Amino acid sequence: MLFHTWPFAIFLLIVLPVFFALQRTRLWLAWLLVASYFFYGWWNPYYLLLVVYSTLLDYALVAFMDHCPRVGTSGESGSRFALRGLEDKLLKTAFAGAAVGALGILAAAVWGPATLRPTLIGAEVLMLLMALGALFGSRKIWLLVSLVNNLALLVFFKYAGFVVGSLNELFPRLHLTDPATLMPFGFEYLLPVGISFFTFQSLSYTIDFYFGNVHRERSLLRFATFVCFFPQLMAGPIERARHLLPQFNKFPAFRLQNLTDGASLLLVGLFKKLALANYLSLYVERVYDHPETSSAAALVLGTVVFGWQIYFDFSGYTDMARGLARMMGFQLVLNFNNPYLAASLGEFWTRWHIGLSSWFRDYVYIPLGGNRLGSWMTYRNLLITFLISGVWHGSKWTFLIWGALHGIGVIVMREMERSSFYRERVPRLLKQTAVFAFVSFTWIFFRADSLADANLIIRRIATAGWGSANLPVLMVALVAAVWGYAFLYESRFRDLLKTSGVRVSLAVMMVLYLCLCASGGGAFIYFQF
Amino acid sequence: MANESASGITRSVGHGGSKELVPFGATEMRLTARQWLATLAIVLAILLAVPPIWENVERFDTGADYRIPYALSRDYWLYARWVKRAAVPGKVVVLGDSVVWGEYVQPDGAWPIFLTRESAGSPQFVNCGVNGLFPLALEGMVRHYAKLPAGQKVLLQCNLLWLTSPEADLSSAKEEHFNHSRLVPQFSPRLACYRADANEKLTAEIQNRVGFLQWTSHLQNAYFDQKSIPNWTLADDGGDPPHYPNARRNPLAQITLTVPTAPRDDPQRGPASARHKPWSTTGVGSTRFDWVPLATSQQWAAFQRVVRLLRERGNDVFVVLGPFNEHIMAPENRAPYQVIHDGVAAWLAAESIPHSVPEPLPSELYADASHPLTAGYELMAQRTLADPAFRRWLGQPSEK
Repeated sequence: MLFHTWPFAIFLLIVLPVFFALQRTRLWLAWLLVASYFFYGWWNPYYLLLVVYSTLLDYALVAFMDHCPRVGTSGESGSRFALRGLEDKLLKTAFAGAAVGALGILAAAVWGPATLRPTLIGAEVLMLLMALGALFGSRKIWLLVSLVNNLALLVFFKYAGFVVGSLNELFPRLHLTDPATLMPFGFEYLLPVGISFFTFQSLSYTIDFYFGNVHRERSLLRFATFVCFFPQLMAGPIERARHLLPQFNKFPAFRLQNLTDGASLLLVGLFKKLALANYLSLYVERVYDHPETSSAAALVLGTVVFGWQIYFDFSGYTDMARGLARMMGFQLVLNFNNPYLAASLGEFWTRWHIGLSSWFRDYVYIPLGGNRLGSWMTYRNLLITFLISGVWHGSKWTFLIWGALHGIGVIVMREMERSSFYRERVPRLLKQTAVFAFVSFTWIFFRADSLADANLIIRRIATAGWGSANLPVLMVALVAAVWGYAFLYESRFRDLLKTSGVRVSLAVMMVLYLCLCASGGGAFIYFQF
Repeated sequence: MANESASGITRSVGHGGSKELVPFGATEMRLTARQWLATLAIVLAILLAVPPIWENVERFDTGADYRIPYALSRDYWLYARWVKRAAVPGKVVVLGDSVVWGEYVQPDGAWPIFLTRESAGSPQFVNCGVNGLFPLALEGMVRHYAKLPAGQKVLLQCNLLWLTSPEADLSSAKEEHFNHSRLVPQFSPRLACYRADANEKLTAEIQNRVGFLQWTSHLQNAYFDQKSIPNWTLADDGGDPPHYPNARRNPLAQITLTVPTAPRDDPQRGPASARHKPWSTTGVGSTRFDWVPLATSQQWAAFQRVVRLLRERGNDVFVVLGPFNEHIMAPENRAPYQVIHDGVAAWLAAESIPHSVPEPLPSELYADASHPLTAGYELMAQRTLADPAFRRWLGQPSEK
């Protein structure tokens, strides 16, 4: 269900009033969960089982982890091979269950249908790990189970097709099995919408609990709602347990400002998506679907326009998500903060997709050592983090290159910023322009259908005739207006934007433009991640 | 930190108040309740005021032989305006599809024009046909756009072409794409071949009920080549290589405040056009139609609903059945056709709906299975006016 559709409007008209009506009862949280499951199930009811499975497993894993002894930050004490699990009733039960489960799965793998075998092997690995975790009372192993499970889901649904296809192409004799044939019970092999988001969100909980950064959530209802809270289920912002979970402890106090703020964010998000992103996508498609015939000017502008399209699309979605949550009284983290005003790539990544970039910072970059181990290790860690970030976005070589470019770019800019000349003498506007130009260049790889297309586009930009870009004046005017607003927002004239006249005028114009010009529009770009 | 209550997350108490832990966003578009009320009031006023004001401001030239231009067949707001103009005492509104509209003929060669001529202008018959308006779509048109006042005389043509196959009847299970999808019943009765998603269906339902959205659609149809303004700015000219003439144009300049008219002499229609010739000379032989029985026909059920709806509104309805080109049918195909034909006539009689069942025209006066040529329309008009039932309905004495 997309936010900018009528079915969602009807969904909201039902969910919101009932939510508020249940505020004095205990049912409001259950209602949120039911609504969230309905919301996800609208896309595909069978894949809802995946969300439920992931939720139940991580909830249980943290419960088991909580029963394991913890000493210091590493979480272990005494001999690593001590059978601590046998001292705890829950862990003993977990061990018994896991052991029986492992035997049962093994039997099914041996005597069951061949198509289920790979799935069962995966389940067997998990069961064995769980048995070990229970037996040794090891928090580390329980965490490993969560990591393996969540990442395995991600890899299977998101990357297996690409990997298998690429390997079969490189080594035709391999004949690796198409992952679609491995789906149990004949379910269709699809990329579950939001899988990259809810797995990361759930993982952040188990990791944070392991490191003692968050208390165990004892309520399954609350935890399940945290994992699949419908405003941010499909495409973020990725929330941390320590930020969102406490908000479900009690019904948020009703404040009219929450409704008006939420509605404001919703309107801005709708405008960004329907009026801007969808419009820009028409131009980008025209250019990028036929790079061989597009002029250099069209390719350059198409790339720049794509940068704006993806910004409006994704930040528009986030605004809507935050607006919906805020209407109910919940606060979701800011995900975009005028990223194209960044004066360095590092700053760009503190303004773009903040939820994801901070996730990678906290769970990949810092555990790798961050910047604590000297320059070379810092650069290594940065590169690895950005490569993983690229891969997270999708199973194409172009995403990997996109990530690598950003990693290299961040490293180069860090070096440049060591120079006082660059820091103090180069005008901020020039830096902003350079960052924007670089980021726009990297979007070529993000948007191109293939590596070959990306190469073709770059080659044609350099060698093809400049020609005419045929960029509509209306499009230029809209983007310029938004950019101008962003500049004003970060300038000393910001207070002008707070006046009633400006706010009401802009709101009226946005609503009327939506009624007059907005096209229906498809799914959000980041739904494919 | 993990046990912070929800109220501890944000300490904001209002605009310009204490600092928020979670920033609102990278924008100052943060309307207060009062500002929201003002916005909604202004927007509502505009949404309500613009369509009627536009009607008074926009020039809409029509003549005695006016019909909705082919290019504006999906401009339902304009259609509603045309019907409102037509629905006056002394005029008969003629509803139907391209048979009424006159697919192969010029505007002055269509059936309603000949009816007017043959009746010496009293009454005047107004061509409110629309190209491709099959009964399921006609139902939507009548329900939402052709809201005729009580007492208005309505002449309705029943074209059996729409029962010639499950595809034409929209009763096949295979997905179909068809014109006027916005007008067909979106949810009930369910059309198995209509696979639009819930959002498209709801959008259609809402557009059919909200005047401003209908007016927006009118702008797109009349001034922007049936495209949204953004799409119009990106439209190419169809050439190879393509050019994009609208990229630098000012969209506002497109709005000339004059409803476009059809070309005076449409080369695709009329006696001078290559299409205007008898069906038998086009290479089409005898045809075997896959007739859909009345009991299961979606189109027939829709036609019945149209008649009932018009009568419920107090409209004075007269139905003309066909005349279908029976000459085109293979001999073994006539029996099922006759069952349908007689069934329709029987229903009209049973419902006491004034009606006429004219004989088929001579073969050479048909352009295809259902559309007459110019001379065919003339003969059709003569026969209609000669029908005593029709004359009674008009309040005229029968011919001797």
